[in-house]
Amino acid sequence: MKATVKSFIEHAMIALYPRTDALPGIEDAGISEFLDRYREESTLLMWLGLIAGAFAFIASPILTVHWPLPSFLLPARVLDEHAHRVTSSQLYLLRQAIFLIKLAAGLCWGAHPAVRAHFAMAPYAPDPGTWRAS
Amino acid sequence: MSHVAFRERGEDLRLEADYVVVGSGAGGAAAAVTLARSGAEVAIIEAGAWRDPEDYPSSTYGAMRDLFDDWGTQLARGRALWPIVQARTVGGTTVINSAICVRTPGDIFAQWQRERGIEGLAERVWAHQDTLERELRVEEVPEPARGNSNRLAMLGASRAGYDSHWIRRYVAGCEGTGQCLQGCKKTRKQSTNLNYVPEVLARGGHVVSSAPVKRVAIEGRRAIGVRGRFEHPRTKAWGADFFVRARRAVVVAASVTHSPALLERSGVRSPALGKYFRAHPGTGVFGIYDEPVDTNTGATQGWASTAFRADPGLKLETLSIPFEMVASRLSGGGARLIERLREYRHLCMWCHAVRAESVGTVRNGLFDKPVVRYGLDREDMLRFRQGMILLAKTHFAAGAKKILPGIHGMPYELGPDQVSLLEDAPLDPRAYIAILSHLFGGCVMGTDPRDAVTDARGRVHGYDGLVVADASVIPSNLGVNPQHTIMALAMAFAEDLASE
Ligand SMILES: Cc1cc2nc3c(=O)[nH]c(=O)nc-3n(C[C@H](O)[C@H](O)[C@H](O)COP(=O)(O)OP(=O)(O)OC[C@H]3O[C@@H](n4cnc5c(N)ncnc54)[C@H](O)[C@@H]3O)c2cc1C
Ligand code: SF4
Repeated sequence: MKATVKSFIEHAMIALYPRTDALPGIEDAGISEFLDRYREESTLLMWLGLIAGAFAFIASPILTVHWPLPSFLLPARVLDEHAHRVTSSQLYLLRQAIFLIKLAAGLCWGAHPAVRAHFAMAPYAPDPGTWRAS
Repeated sequence: MSHVAFRERGEDLRLEADYVVVGSGAGGAAAAVTLARSGAEVAIIEAGAWRDPEDYPSSTYGAMRDLFDDWGTQLARGRALWPIVQARTVGGTTVINSAICVRTPGDIFAQWQRERGIEGLAERVWAHQDTLERELRVEEVPEPARGNSNRLAMLGASRAGYDSHWIRRYVAGCEGTGQCLQGCKKTRKQSTNLNYVPEVLARGGHVVSSAPVKRVAIEGRRAIGVRGRFEHPRTKAWGADFFVRARRAVVVAASVTHSPALLERSGVRSPALGKYFRAHPGTGVFGIYDEPVDTNTGATQGWASTAFRADPGLKLETLSIPFEMVASRLSGGGARLIERLREYRHLCMWCHAVRAESVGTVRNGLFDKPVVRYGLDREDMLRFRQGMILLAKTHFAAGAKKILPGIHGMPYELGPDQVSLLEDAPLDPRAYIAILSHLFGGCVMGTDPRDAVTDARGRVHGYDGLVVADASVIPSNLGVNPQHTIMALAMAFAEDLASE
């Protein structure tokens, strides 16, 4: 996987699910391994969707916080504001692209044992990925 | 008896049986077992892998990867892009559904008779539903498995003054793990991979899994078998070719999206093919309560109301979606999203299914992927909005301190005195996050071949030995959960076929 593409996706996901005093963020939830797995196991179209979502996130601060900069150059507070506002953009396709990236990130963040423990949920057993072969 | 799983290239499979059934979900498994019980040799050909409960995933990611059709990413294309959720595994969508069992309402048969000339099905369907309820051990969600979300909904409905009930499901002894969407590892849910499919094997039949059918082979006007190529359950790489000959008939039960697409690429000619796609679009409203609800515990769906089925055309239900999905379903991002998620233990989602009248189409697309075009008209959007208002009122009647409507352009949360704001909620479907899970049509039945793909016994007009036996034959919306109707119809069609 190209490190830059992956780092762009990670950037968007970390901004959407940041670490806070109250809860671990997606950077504490194995995002890098998750993205490697997602790239390998999902379809090309789904991966392209994530890339599109990440680029939409990076390119849209001008529309949300009115800063003419890519999101990775925004100061932390403005980035957080962008991450919030972009999820409810007036542009349906932008909203959908961000929804996709938020959904994929949610699959990673919400399945992590540290996050689940905060909500009194037992850790997930591993997904065996097996089937009846004969 | 034989089960043939994925085969590598070069290990081509040729098989022959009296009947070949495409798909092992609600319709396919019910048809196959009925044919097998008549003494026939049946081969079930299923696109997905055969996963037993010990193979089931735990996480939502795993469910999307291992059980969902195309990871659940198929979208209905209309003004809004709403996902269509189905499964691709032995047992079909019965593996990931909530197994809610509702008998076909009598008015549906009257409607089919009036609009499509279909007669004589009611008594037969109900008789098969009796059998299904006995064999698949239908029971009301037991008290210990109800969970707080379902109990609150019951309280809310009774305080709001409308009828509702604990759901009856094809589930024996539910343990309330709230994991129906990932497959029931406790083997309580009676999905067809646990009962009818193994019974077909035990009666000397065959199951070919990881085997998407590419075409129904048709000679002249007669279906003589199916051909396709194995697909690896994990890598999705193509494997060996297969051809399964049908001595008597091919039964197509590949779902509302796949059956019309399969018939289209097989060259079946019918002016109605792919038309009259319908759905019960639905969305949810979260309520937030003072005390923890822990919606992840208790039956995934345990409470429902059909009080609004006739007017305005809605069904209301509880639904516990996995935590990972709640994370993306709550609006917002960044620190504010995390702050909102902190309330998780106090929230629960109840949803509606709209008995929508809008119709769409299904076509075979690139790489044999079905393409669905569908959108809701204004009348249906009014129903959709009305359903959200009812859910909001029920939450407040149950004691919620606020609700989260999840509507673009509206406040994130509303208090009890703000429900009236929902009456002006937008009618643009793009403002909502909805899904389509109850699907109908595409190969609808009826007596007029100009307007129906099959007759009232599922036989494709103008062809011999070709029957459709899944939700795609259903020519109207039911307004109730469809699995019971699909299975009973498939049994009736198979019974007719066996007696031909
Ligand atoms: C999340 C969810 C919850 C639901 N809950 C309920 C509920 O509680 N109660 C209820 O009544 N209904 C429920 N439904 C709806 C219900 O499950 C479906 O209506 C029903 O399963 C449809 O039956 P079917 O036979 O038409 O298709 P399916 O059950 O989807 O079966 C079709 C099968 O055909 C296979 N197939 C597709 N293409 C091919 C091909 N080319 N070759 C070979 N095989 C193929 C598929 O892999 C699949 O196994 C739910 C649906 C969803 C998605
Ligand atoms: S709630 Fe749990 S135990 Fe009950 S049927 Fe669903 S998965 Fe099985």
